[in-house]
Amino acid sequence: MTIHNILILGDLGSFFSGLWHGIISWQFLQFLVAFLSFFGFILTSATILVLAERKVIAWMQDRFGPYHTGPHGLLQSVADVAKLLLKEDIHPADTDKVLFLLAPSVFLAPVIAAFAVLPFSPYVGLPGTALATGIVYLVAMSSIDVIGVVMAGWSSNNKYALIGGLRSAAQMISYELPLVLALIGVVMLTSILDPSGVGIGTISLRGIMTYQSSSLYPGKGIGIWDFIFKGFTPWSWFFLVQPLMMVIYYVCGLAETNRPPFDLPEAESELVAGYLTEYSGMRWAMFFLGEYGNMTIVSAIATTLFLGGWSGPGVAYLTGLNNLGWGTLGNVLALGYFITKVYVLCFVFIWIRATLPRLRADQLMQFAWLILIPTTLINILITGGLYLVVSSLGGGNLDTLVFLVILGVINWVMMFVFIRIVGRATVATTRRAKAPAERARQRAVAAQLAEQSTAHTPVIAGSSK
Amino acid sequence: MVTNQNPGALPGWIEGEEGIQTQEMLLNMGPQHPSTHGVLRLVMTLEGETVVNCTPVIGYLHRGIEKILENRTVMAGIRYMDNADYLSPMLNETAYAGAVEQLMGIEPPRRAQYIRLLTNEMQRIASHLVGVGTYLLDLGASTPVLWAFRDREGILSLFEALGGSRFNVNYMRVGGVLHDFPKGWLAECSAFLDQLEKNMVELEGLITGNEIFEARTQGVGYVDQQQAIAYGLTGPMLRASGVKWDLRANRPYGAYREVPVNVVVRQEGDCFARYKVRIDEIYESIRLSRIAIERLPGGPICVRTPIALRPPRGETYFAVESSKGELGVYFISDGSEYPWRAKLRGPSFVNLQILPELLRGHKMGDVIAILGSTDIVLGEVDR
Repeated sequence: MTIHNILILGDLGSFFSGLWHGIISWQFLQFLVAFLSFFGFILTSATILVLAERKVIAWMQDRFGPYHTGPHGLLQSVADVAKLLLKEDIHPADTDKVLFLLAPSVFLAPVIAAFAVLPFSPYVGLPGTALATGIVYLVAMSSIDVIGVVMAGWSSNNKYALIGGLRSAAQMISYELPLVLALIGVVMLTSILDPSGVGIGTISLRGIMTYQSSSLYPGKGIGIWDFIFKGFTPWSWFFLVQPLMMVIYYVCGLAETNRPPFDLPEAESELVAGYLTEYSGMRWAMFFLGEYGNMTIVSAIATTLFLGGWSGPGVAYLTGLNNLGWGTLGNVLALGYFITKVYVLCFVFIWIRATLPRLRADQLMQFAWLILIPTTLINILITGGLYLVVSSLGGGNLDTLVFLVILGVINWVMMFVFIRIVGRATVATTRRAKAPAERARQRAVAAQLAEQSTAHTPVIAGSSK
Repeated sequence: MVTNQNPGALPGWIEGEEGIQTQEMLLNMGPQHPSTHGVLRLVMTLEGETVVNCTPVIGYLHRGIEKILENRTVMAGIRYMDNADYLSPMLNETAYAGAVEQLMGIEPPRRAQYIRLLTNEMQRIASHLVGVGTYLLDLGASTPVLWAFRDREGILSLFEALGGSRFNVNYMRVGGVLHDFPKGWLAECSAFLDQLEKNMVELEGLITGNEIFEARTQGVGYVDQQQAIAYGLTGPMLRASGVKWDLRANRPYGAYREVPVNVVVRQEGDCFARYKVRIDEIYESIRLSRIAIERLPGGPICVRTPIALRPPRGETYFAVESSKGELGVYFISDGSEYPWRAKLRGPSFVNLQILPELLRGHKMGDVIAILGSTDIVLGEVDR
C-alpha cells in the first residue's frame, strides 16, 4: 500500500469516528426523538382522523358509526389497517409499472415532509429546521402532491381514471394560487410588525408565530396574569386581524386536499371514479393517509399562522423558568394546545363534509379564478395601502396596535361583504339561467290550458259485449 | 323524443374549429350505477362534456306484474301492485282497488275513504322523503338522506302497526280497507306529524338556502309548460312547470271530494322547482293527514263483498294522484274472478320519456342533477 492509500484510510477512519461521535451524541438523540414524534404523529393522526370522521359524521346524521369493533368502535382503525395490509396488491395489466408503484409514495412523502417545519411546541421540532423559508417550503410540498395525482391517473391505464386525475390536478393547481396569496397577507403583517423597524418580515413559521404574541398584556408582572397571558395574547392572533384570509386559506385547503365540497375527483355518483380506481390495499391506504395527512397539515398551518400555534395559558411562563421539570410541563402543555387547535380545525373539515353537497367542475374553477383570486389580491392591496396611508399620517409614532385594529375592522367588514357577494353571485347566475322560464311564464296562458284539458273517459260499465 | 337509435352505432366524427376532428364518445351509464335510482341504463353520446343524445334503456326490472295480475283473483292481486312503485305501495293499491270498485259500482264507506286518504298522504310523505334524500345524496350531501330516512322510519312503523308490514302492506281491499286502527294509533300518528313538521324545518334549513345546491339545480333541466303537457308529464314534474293540475283537486276521488287540497305549483320549471314542489307537498300532506285524523267518521271500514269477487264484464280506468304523478289502472273484466287485463299507467314511465330532450345540451355534471329531479322509480317504469 502506498502512502497515498494509507492517508486515505486514515481520513476515512477519522470520518467514521466523527460520524460515530455524531450519532451517539445528545443532538442526534434529540433529532431522533423529534423525527419519530412528528413522523408518528402524522401517521397516527391520519388513522385517527379516519375513525373520527366516520364517528363525527355519524353523530351528525343521527346514528352511531362504527360501534362493534372495540368499545364503542374505537378499534375500528386498527381493524381497517390490518385489513388493508392483508389485502392482495392488484396491478392492472399494461400499466406503466414504475409510475403506478411510485405514485402513492409521491403523494404521501411530501405530506410527511411538510411536518418538518411545523412547530409543535417550543422544544419539539427538528433542531435546525426553524426553516427560514417555512411558507415557501410548505407550498412546494403541496405542489408535489399534484405530481402524485397525475402519476396515479396516467399509470392506471383507465380513461376514467385519467380524466379524474387530470381534473383533480387542475383543481389542486387552481386553488394553490389563492392559497398562497392568502398567506401573503400574513407575511405582510409580519413585516409591518417587525420590531427592528427595518420592515422585512419573516416567512419562517416559528417567526410568524412569535409575532402573534404581543408583549402588551394585562397584569404584566403580576404572578397569575403572567402565568396565563405571557405568550398567550389571543387578541393579537392573526385570525382577528385577517379573518377573511383565514377563511380563504381554509377553503383553498379544502380544495387542495380534495375534500367535500370539492371532492369531484373522488365522487362515486359522478361519472368517473377518480384517480384512485385501480389502487387496492396498502397503496390505496397510502393515498388516503396522504389525504388525511394533508387535512392535518392544512389545519396545522392555519393554526400556526392564524391561531397562534402552540401558545396557550402557561406555556411561555413555564418554559421561561429555565427549570427542566417545569419546562417539560410547559412543552407538554404547548403540545396539547397545538394538537387541540389542529383537531378543532379538522373537526370543521369533517363538519363541512357532512353538510355541503358537491360543486360541479366548472363552478369549482369559476370559484377559484373569478372569486378567490381577486379577493386575495384586493386584500393584499388593502393591507399595503392602509399601511402606507396610516404610516404617512402618523409618522414614526405609529402604534402597531392601532394599525392592527384598523386593519382588523376593515378585514371583518370585507369578510361579510365577501359572503354576501358570493351569495349574490349565485343568485345572479341563477336568475340569468332562469330567464327562459320567466319568459315562458309570461308567454303562456297556463290556467286555461289546465282547465280545458280533456278528461279521461269515464266508466264504460259492462253492457253486452 | 326518444329516437329509435341503435345504441351500438358508431358515433360520428365532428369537424371542429381549425380543422380539429373530435369524436363523439358513447358512454354507458350502466344499469348498475350509484345514482340511476334503480336499474336504468342511459346510453349517452357525449361531445366533450356535453350530452348530444341520450337513449334510456329500460326493462331491467320487468317482472311481469300485469301478466301476474291476470292469473290472480282481485283480492290476491292487490298485493302485486305493491311491487310496482315500491316506494308508495299504498297509493298503488288504492288505484287497483279503486278501479275494481268503480267497475262494480261499489262505494267504500266514508270511514274507509278517510283512512285511505290518511294512509295515502302519509305514503306520499314517505316517497317524497326518499326522493329528496336520494337527490341530495347524488349531489354529494350525505346528511339529508339519513335525516329523511329517520323520519320515514316513523311512517313505516305506523304502517307496521296498522297493516302488519312496513313496506308492502297489502292493506286496501275492494270496498274499503283491511284493518281498523289499533288502540292509540291515531294519537301516535298525530304526535309523529308534529315531530315531522319540526324535522322538515331542520331538513329544509340544510338544503333550501344552500348556495351550492341552488347553483347546481337552478336553471338546470328546464321544462317548458307546453313541453310538459305535450309529453304527458304528471305529478311534481308537471306542477313545477306552472301547470296547476292535481288529480286530487281536479278529478277528486274518495275523500278528496270532501277535503280540498291546495295544489302546489311553481313557475320556474327547473330542478330546484321540482325539489321545492316535493318539499311543499310534504307540508301539504301533513296538513291533509291532520284534517283526516280530525274528521275521521265512524262506521264500517269495508263493504261486505264475496271473497271470490266477480266484477261484471266491462272496462274502466281509475287514476289516483301518486307521489310520482297520475297512477292509473285500466281494468278489463270478462266477468270471471280473474281480470282479463289490468294495465298500469306508471307515471314514472311517462315522465321518463322527456329525459333525452332534457339532457340534450347539458354537461355531464348536470345529468345527475336532472335525473334525480325526475324522481323515477324503476318498478313503475318496467313493471
